[in-house]
Amino acid sequence: MAYSKLGEMLEKGEFVLTGELEPEKTCDLSHTIHEAKEMAPYVVGANVTDSPLGIVTINSMAASHIVQREAGLEVIWQLTVRDVNKLGIAGMIMGAHALGIRNVLSLTGDHPALGDVTEAKPVFDLDSATLCSLVREMVDKKSINGHEIECPPTLHVGAAANPNADPMGAEILKIGRKAEAGAEFLQTQVVYDLERTIEFLTEIRKYKVPILLGIFPMKSYGIAKGFDEFVPGVSVPKDILAQWKSIKKEITDKKDQKEAYDNANYEFFKPFITELRKKGLLDGIHCMAVHYPRIFPKLKSVIEDSN
Amino acid sequence: MVVITTKKPEQEVFDALDRYNVKKAVIVSCGTCAALCQTGGTEGLEEWTQKLEEKGIQVLSGIVSEDVCDNRVMRKDLNKIKEEVAGADAILTLSCGLGIQSIVKNMERFDAGKPVIIANNTEFMGMTERIGRFYMRCLGCGDCLLNETGGICPITTCAKALMNGPCGGMVEGKCEVGNYEKDCGWILIYNRLKEMGRLDLFEKLRPPRDWSESGHQREVVFR
Ligand code: SF4
Ligand code: SF4
Repeated sequence: MAYSKLGEMLEKGEFVLTGELEPEKTCDLSHTIHEAKEMAPYVVGANVTDSPLGIVTINSMAASHIVQREAGLEVIWQLTVRDVNKLGIAGMIMGAHALGIRNVLSLTGDHPALGDVTEAKPVFDLDSATLCSLVREMVDKKSINGHEIECPPTLHVGAAANPNADPMGAEILKIGRKAEAGAEFLQTQVVYDLERTIEFLTEIRKYKVPILLGIFPMKSYGIAKGFDEFVPGVSVPKDILAQWKSIKKEITDKKDQKEAYDNANYEFFKPFITELRKKGLLDGIHCMAVHYPRIFPKLKSVIEDSN
Repeated sequence: MVVITTKKPEQEVFDALDRYNVKKAVIVSCGTCAALCQTGGTEGLEEWTQKLEEKGIQVLSGIVSEDVCDNRVMRKDLNKIKEEVAGADAILTLSCGLGIQSIVKNMERFDAGKPVIIANNTEFMGMTERIGRFYMRCLGCGDCLLNETGGICPITTCAKALMNGPCGGMVEGKCEVGNYEKDCGWILIYNRLKEMGRLDLFEKLRPPRDWSESGHQREVVFR
């Protein structure tokens, strides 16, 4: 049974493209809505982040609802177990349904110690696997701890997968637990290493959960460098960095430069994704590059050309 | 096992004494755990006696008690100095959070209104590597999981006390909390179970912890 467009496409085995929206520390969502509108023609839905890095932003459930209402774009509501206990989360899931949200991504969440409210109590009553179990109990069994829900929620629950994890074996077994808990799709962390990706995806294929590969097209050399330096556990290959650097140096016309970056992203991701699709390892792509909505037409062609 | 304590900032202790306008005090120092942590014992007693006297607070009596956290021992020890206790404006204790509450409990019999001030912060129940190096490896959760985790505690070695780790914050076996300096508890568990040839235990989906017994004053009463 499908409750959302994303659920429907995955059920039918159609290749999906999802985007990501990162609301900030503001009650004004106009930028987020603008970005959502720009990507809407190309994606089935977009993730709405839940205070990443433990830095407080506007609540992700509220932002998700407003994005759906104002931009007409289906959302994948990111929900971390960092800030709310099981009792609160169960209530939020019903609230999200009532607000029209039909997909939720179960995440652990970065520890408050990393963010800007370091004194906050780290809750973690559930974890990213048991949150999947909770959603599935509420949706499929129409109950919480066996207590009936009069009008139950209908949401699809997804989970994250990290191909960069080292040791990989521990991550794979953890994904097995998420699958057992009822995760209905997986979105991976960004990865640039094809061999590693193949090894990882081949391993987790056995859990039979649709996989959306996380990619991060880089809008500029600055962003590529920042990503390489500041995202722990992920590195951007040296030749990519060099290529982006030369675009920055050699192409001075802003418009041409943008086009060159967009083309370079296409050239990098097309063979990468073609190879993975050929091996039957992918069900979709999740583009995590925020504030780069103009890349979506290109990604759409990556998908078309990689088939 | 030792209840690990560290010294509070001195000013905080003096501020607490000032709040009760303390001119005369009795000091109760713990001779067991706090002595080992160098926050109590004979040395702590001497140190605080001197500090109080320098501030013009008269120390009527100072004792080292072997079991500040045992109500029975405390009752006996306080009884021996009951006149000094009666004459003091407050008791200063160099103990853990259990010690101070044992004293407060006993004060019901001596002088229920007597302030008791603590000079230490209580950190955790500690595993001892050597004196001066203690680790929190169990917090007494009441439902020990270690038979399933290869004898390594996820509640204390995982920064998020997750039941199903590792999380996405793990990089090369290290934890996102504390700048990737400490081992990820779930990788310690993974490696240990791998060594034991029991990764089947790692595969297991664990339900959330049951907190239903933790919301009230926990007690163990078997007699
Ligand atoms: S699981 Fe950890 S905290 Fe709980 S009793 Fe066992 S060692 Fe202690
Ligand atoms: S990195 Fe490991 S120890 Fe740190 S919070 Fe995640 S699972 Fe726990």
